[in-house]
Amino acid sequence: MAVDTQTLPAMVDERAPVRRVKGGVTYAVLGLFLLAIAVAVLGGDRTTTIAFDRTLTDLHWAVPTRPVVLALGAITAAAGAWMLLGLPQRWTKFASAAAVTAFVVGLLFWSYSEPGTVFRAESILAGALFLSMPYIFGALSGVVCERSGVINIGIEGQFLMGAFTGVLVANITGNVYAGMAGAMLAGLLSTMLLALLATKYQVNQVVVGVILNLLALGFTSFMYDQLKKTEGFNNAFSIPTISWGPLADIPILGPVLFQQKLFVYVGLVMVFVVWFLLYRTRWGLRTRAVGEHPAAADSMGVNVNRLRYWNVTLAGLISGFGGAWFTIANSLAFNKDMTAGLGFVALAVMIVGRWNPLGVLAGALIFGFTTQIARDLDASGSALIPGDFLKMLPYAVTLVVVAGLIGKARAPKADGVPYNPGDK
Amino acid sequence: MRLELKGLTKKFGSFTADDDIDLVVEPGQIHAILGENGAGKSTLMNMLYGILTPTSGEILIDGEPVSFAGPRDAIAAGIGMVHQHFKLVGPFSVADNVQLGREHTRGLGVLSAKAARKAVVDVSEQYGLALDPDAVCEDLPVGVQQRVEIVKALSGPKTELLILDEPTAVLTPAEITELLQIMRNLAEAGTSILFISHKLKEVQAVADTVTVIRRGKVVAELEPTASEAEMASAMVGRAVSLQVDKTPAETGEARLEVKDLTVVSAAGVKVLDGLDLTVHSGEIVGLAGVEGNGQTELARSILGLVKPDSGYIAVDGQDVHGRSPARRIADGLGYIPEDRGRDGLVSEFSVAENLVLNQYKDEPFSKRGVVNSGAVRKRASDSIAEFDIRTQSPDEPVSSLSGGNQQKVIIAREFSRPRRFLVAAQPTRGVDVGATEFIHSRLVAERDTGTGVLLISSELDEIYALADRIAVIYNGRIVGEVDPGTPRGVIGRLMVGASAEDTPSPTTDSDEPADDEEANGGDR
Repeated sequence: MAVDTQTLPAMVDERAPVRRVKGGVTYAVLGLFLLAIAVAVLGGDRTTTIAFDRTLTDLHWAVPTRPVVLALGAITAAAGAWMLLGLPQRWTKFASAAAVTAFVVGLLFWSYSEPGTVFRAESILAGALFLSMPYIFGALSGVVCERSGVINIGIEGQFLMGAFTGVLVANITGNVYAGMAGAMLAGLLSTMLLALLATKYQVNQVVVGVILNLLALGFTSFMYDQLKKTEGFNNAFSIPTISWGPLADIPILGPVLFQQKLFVYVGLVMVFVVWFLLYRTRWGLRTRAVGEHPAAADSMGVNVNRLRYWNVTLAGLISGFGGAWFTIANSLAFNKDMTAGLGFVALAVMIVGRWNPLGVLAGALIFGFTTQIARDLDASGSALIPGDFLKMLPYAVTLVVVAGLIGKARAPKADGVPYNPGDK
Repeated sequence: MRLELKGLTKKFGSFTADDDIDLVVEPGQIHAILGENGAGKSTLMNMLYGILTPTSGEILIDGEPVSFAGPRDAIAAGIGMVHQHFKLVGPFSVADNVQLGREHTRGLGVLSAKAARKAVVDVSEQYGLALDPDAVCEDLPVGVQQRVEIVKALSGPKTELLILDEPTAVLTPAEITELLQIMRNLAEAGTSILFISHKLKEVQAVADTVTVIRRGKVVAELEPTASEAEMASAMVGRAVSLQVDKTPAETGEARLEVKDLTVVSAAGVKVLDGLDLTVHSGEIVGLAGVEGNGQTELARSILGLVKPDSGYIAVDGQDVHGRSPARRIADGLGYIPEDRGRDGLVSEFSVAENLVLNQYKDEPFSKRGVVNSGAVRKRASDSIAEFDIRTQSPDEPVSSLSGGNQQKVIIAREFSRPRRFLVAAQPTRGVDVGATEFIHSRLVAERDTGTGVLLISSELDEIYALADRIAVIYNGRIVGEVDPGTPRGVIGRLMVGASAEDTPSPTTDSDEPADDEEANGGDR
């Protein structure tokens, strides 16, 4: 057949060296910055101490800081220079990743070289996993919605509703697990409103999402003020840490994976469950079809708006549960606006993860790690960077990652587009 | 399956899209439905496929009345449909697209990739439609995507009637030949086919019987042996001239010079790869080629919407490098875009506003930055009269007009100001026979005033009717420049990348009868 024997159009040769001026200059400057720090600021007697603080408590591993930072700075600068001189297309990502990793590790070595600071590897990694949970729950909820073609910008609001309701129900019933169920229900009710407005009334989904966020903020703040007057509605509840016996004593792995709260295990399991449902089941095939080309699904007898409605509604269970993390998992009482914009960071995580649950896991871990480092440095009183700047870190990483590293991630084609039966 | 429609009517408010349609499709018959845009063909098919509910009338299958609440019912009753706009989910594999809505599972809703793959292979072998079940649809050529659509339509529980809605609109001549053969094979095997088209040559080549619809009514039942003129006049309701009268071109100096033009897409593909082309004053150069071989990028580079990676473009002898589209238009470049919804019209604006979209800041339409609505209205009423634009008033939003009349708005806008060179990309796409006739005669009149015209069209008939010289584009290069006397087969082979010399081509079925070659790429 003629169509199958067509020659391919000419491609730009992938092996031919390409110059990346912007990236090259950036990495070269960052690398030189590290080198300058190593030479000018770091005395030869500075050391960075790494500790296995939970299992092998006696082991302290002191590394001389200056040579390590020098080496990492050299790697960063070399990657930048390589990009400036020109390198094959397929090596660009590798060079970029090497430069970013070397620079970040270099910064960490520098930050933890202040006298009195110790890089407590196990606490920090376990904390990073714990802190990545709200991103995982929020982004998974977003993945389910947006894969079905509905933009869920209201994750922040669902977090707030979940956080508030979780504590309230736990207080009323005296049972923390009932509180978690209450949080899920609150999330479900929030997204049900979004689902209804987006499918039946075909309202602009971004506008609805913003309004639902404001509504949740106003509602929970108002209720908080009202309930504050009476004792016994907003006491902190907590859940136990699950320890897996001897497994918990394995260095690094034990504290990170086998000594966590229920939320961490639910989050990790959900990543794989949502992935399996999306890519290996009938529901997933139809959901992805509805988000990509609803008319195609409609022509094959799939009820587009009904599927969207239920997917969005059920996604609220996930983000509502994520809301309970803020209060119950952290053993905190509810406070006004306590989610502090993390719902929006979760949206960024969803994009960073390219609308794929496994990508979401990777993205969430990066953000969780950044948040944990910022908290740890702040608490250790490292004089290097002021605390308020450290609190900016997760947000700055969001901007850099979304704008710089990811570039164009492709959203589901019909994301945010209301569907009318009969549309093309 | 024997399908019968009795008095089928569909009303949208006060507008009657289909009025009392009677139709019978016998088993194993290819029944063509001819009609202009907006004649009610698509509405009729959507009722048959359960997407729309008839206002009155009934559908009978093998004598039994049926009613469909949705496509699922139609599929269950044995109807399969290949839509004009493909309903394929781009990132899905062929197997996933075919199983969507009737998935193969291993219980509990878990998909069985193996069963899905086997089902595709079974159907494609049964009907001789070769397909790779694991290929990703968006990477496939259009002709193969259509094969996926056909296999999808045939994969219903017992598909006995296939509806093909304008299936050849996006195909190459070779692909059209292949599709017509597939249709014949299916009909021989007992499948009934409803073939919706406005391309007369294809209908003549393949149909067993022809029903013509105009303004929602059946106006004629014809034999496929009827002449093209007969079919065209039945569709339009008046005599239509299918020939364009034109005198030999009197060419002058070069109005467009393109040298070694290269454009690289974001994905790293050279969509234009060292293209050279010259158009002189007083001639129409037809750019033939399968869509997606760089035509869009060439047109957009000439206007200045795409920045070439290398090469040289001169319009009217002047290097246009670095000049804005507005400047190029002011210097005498006319542009009829291929996608009028995106590049040609602001659909919410009125007809009058759209008619001055590229002149609004010139005298007399505005003075010192204030629009003179009187002058705009006068231009609008002049243009509406001169170009026969069917609109209720100049203040109607342009989106309320039919496709043909929207195109006339663009033509009127471009032809109502002096220009030196015109790019006409797919000027009659989605335009019916009557309006096509009008647009063609205006293009020739334009040429006769000395303008150079670059006609970009995927319809070979249009190229043949208008061009004084034909350039064939393939993979971003001009692979041949020939005169309009060149046989269709030669150009068809150039369009898929074979060289003009090797005839008969090894890539097409050489045992195809000669009159079928004539049917290739028929556009009316």
